[in-house]
Amino acid sequence: MSEDQYPEITISPEAIKQAVSTRMNARLKMWTRICAHCGLCADSCHFYLAKNKDPRMVPSFKAQKLKELVRKKGRVDENYLQSLYDIAFGDCTVCRRCTMYCPFGIDMAVMVSTIRSILTSQGVAPKGLQDAIKNYQESGNQMAISEEDWVETLQWMEEELQDELPGATIPIDKKGARIMYTVNAREPKFYPQDIQLAAKLFHVVGEDWTLPSKMGWDDTNLAMFAGDAKTAGHIVQLIYDRAVELDVQYVAITECGHAFRSVAFEGPVWLGKDYPFKVVHSVELFAQYIREGRLEFDRKITEPITYQDPCNVSRNGGLADTARYIIKHIAEDFREMEPHGNHNFCCSGGGGAIPMGPPFKRRRMEAGKVKADQIKATGAKIVICPCHNCYDQVNDLNKEYNLGIKVKSFKEIFEEIMHIPEELKAQEEEDLGEGK
Amino acid sequence: MNFIAFVEGPLVWIAFLTFLLGSALRLLLFFTLSSKKDKPVYRFFNLKWMLLSIARWLFPANVDLKKNPIFASLGYIFHICLLAVPLFYSAHLMLWEESRFKWSWWTMPDHWADWMTLTLLAIALFFIIRRIVLPGVRIITTPSDYLLIVICALPFLTGYINTHPDGLSYQWITSALPIYGQYGTTIHIMSGALMLIVVPFTKLSHWVLFFVSRAVTGMEFGRRNYPV
Ligand code: SF4
Ligand code: SF4
Ligand code: SF4
Repeated sequence: MSEDQYPEITISPEAIKQAVSTRMNARLKMWTRICAHCGLCADSCHFYLAKNKDPRMVPSFKAQKLKELVRKKGRVDENYLQSLYDIAFGDCTVCRRCTMYCPFGIDMAVMVSTIRSILTSQGVAPKGLQDAIKNYQESGNQMAISEEDWVETLQWMEEELQDELPGATIPIDKKGARIMYTVNAREPKFYPQDIQLAAKLFHVVGEDWTLPSKMGWDDTNLAMFAGDAKTAGHIVQLIYDRAVELDVQYVAITECGHAFRSVAFEGPVWLGKDYPFKVVHSVELFAQYIREGRLEFDRKITEPITYQDPCNVSRNGGLADTARYIIKHIAEDFREMEPHGNHNFCCSGGGGAIPMGPPFKRRRMEAGKVKADQIKATGAKIVICPCHNCYDQVNDLNKEYNLGIKVKSFKEIFEEIMHIPEELKAQEEEDLGEGK
Repeated sequence: MNFIAFVEGPLVWIAFLTFLLGSALRLLLFFTLSSKKDKPVYRFFNLKWMLLSIARWLFPANVDLKKNPIFASLGYIFHICLLAVPLFYSAHLMLWEESRFKWSWWTMPDHWADWMTLTLLAIALFFIIRRIVLPGVRIITTPSDYLLIVICALPFLTGYINTHPDGLSYQWITSALPIYGQYGTTIHIMSGALMLIVVPFTKLSHWVLFFVSRAVTGMEFGRRNYPV
């Protein structure tokens, strides 16, 4: 059943055939050939489990559509494209969990991404992603925020922050800083507080950091989820250029999963070169601060806490243990979901499902039942999500399934319990005292 | 040359050569295409992650054993029988010893070969039933999946029948198919040859590509600093 009609296109068999053949590399050909159709991947997928073991949700079924597509040699009709569109964009969040359970290590998420890529090349992609791609191409960020608005937001956040921590700044374009921080475009647009929290943290730990004023500050990459490698590479190139201009040692990624994956792991592939800087996710950076004793806490959170391993931070980012190192320092009553870590279930908001917008919402609520049940079973009251998409999705699940939880990023938890040395704080009380 | 002589001579050669050269060609095709279109595989090459991933899945040290213990274990047992019986069955060894190569190696007791053969046949039957019964497996099953199970089971079935001329199976088949008495060995060799010949052209090429695929994925996750 189709949720969303794909945008109208004229089908060009020749173009489709071409799009397929240029994308079929040796790995994909091997994977279409050797799949044993054993079904061991079936119950590794949250869509399969949430939809009462609907056979159409078996990962191999979705991934091997690629084989069918190769065989068709471009001879497809609208119904077929619609069914591929539903499968590739609607029934899979390319979370890569199934990959870990295939005896051959067949990377079904990569195969589904390839189907997405072929579809996108023909204009068959969710409007939410297509709009984002256009925004990236024109403005360098997914929400078409102008440079002026971006810089203004930073200045506004800096002023507000200084009320609390007089010496705190949001350094823009500071050459030679240790890290260049990059954010999700959602932050300046809807949650400027997030940038303020980061700035506050950086001030407290004494980080030497900066943000670029020009394109390259948005680290998200929805073009990756659409399979548009050209735009995806362009986005990472912008970040690369800013980091080189500012001559930083690290590019730090905000609490966002796919942004980290795209810059740290896919970027070097798209650009075909290594970086002269290192890429760190916030989770890694925060853990570093704790390890070095720069970030300390006045207390631990006593309410039961669980952790949502974002697929692109844990499984696809390698930071599962690092996150737990942080949690050890902030939570008194930490409860793991089962399964967790690299084997976590996707929240169902990944793979671009959230930016794909309302037409895909029912699907992600349905598939998210697995995550909702996992959260419920922990009895936790707080769910930490160091990923913007997980954050939104778990919030939506909270409403849909009445979980009675609060969703928080690490920064939001730090805000509550972080130790701030007296000398950094505004001296309000004293001033008042003198005036009396 | 009569038919029997053809099967016992040239056909066996053709089968072995197709199997070996075909499998080698599969690998070669992977490497030639990947050197152009899969550059990251070489760029992020890492021996440690490659070997770890292969080892975990070649030996029962992986997550599927926990997730699907019965099916995964049967899978291992099936593969062990599939390789061990043809390689170490005493009568096969005699053929190697008598051949121009004069090769010889360890052989298993014949009653082992019997039990392993029966085990393999039982598992093959289970695989077929499983494909029919489980909707999640049925949807990805193609006719060739059934056919390949049969092709793999046939040499074992005929081998068992032929080595037990006093058994029920032999009586049944010779009464149903009288010429079997004369051509039993020939049919056995043909079924073995068929199995070898189809390997490079089907999913059975996984006997070599397993290593490549595991290596590729092992290294991809190794970039994240953990083994899969
Ligand atoms: S587990 Fe691997 S081989 Fe088995 S059906 Fe799934 S993709 Fe194919
Ligand atoms: S990548 Fe994730 S969502 Fe897609 S089939 Fe595999 S487990 Fe399911
Ligand atoms: S939204 Fe979060 S859990 Fe879900 S795919 Fe991203 S990183 Fe995965």
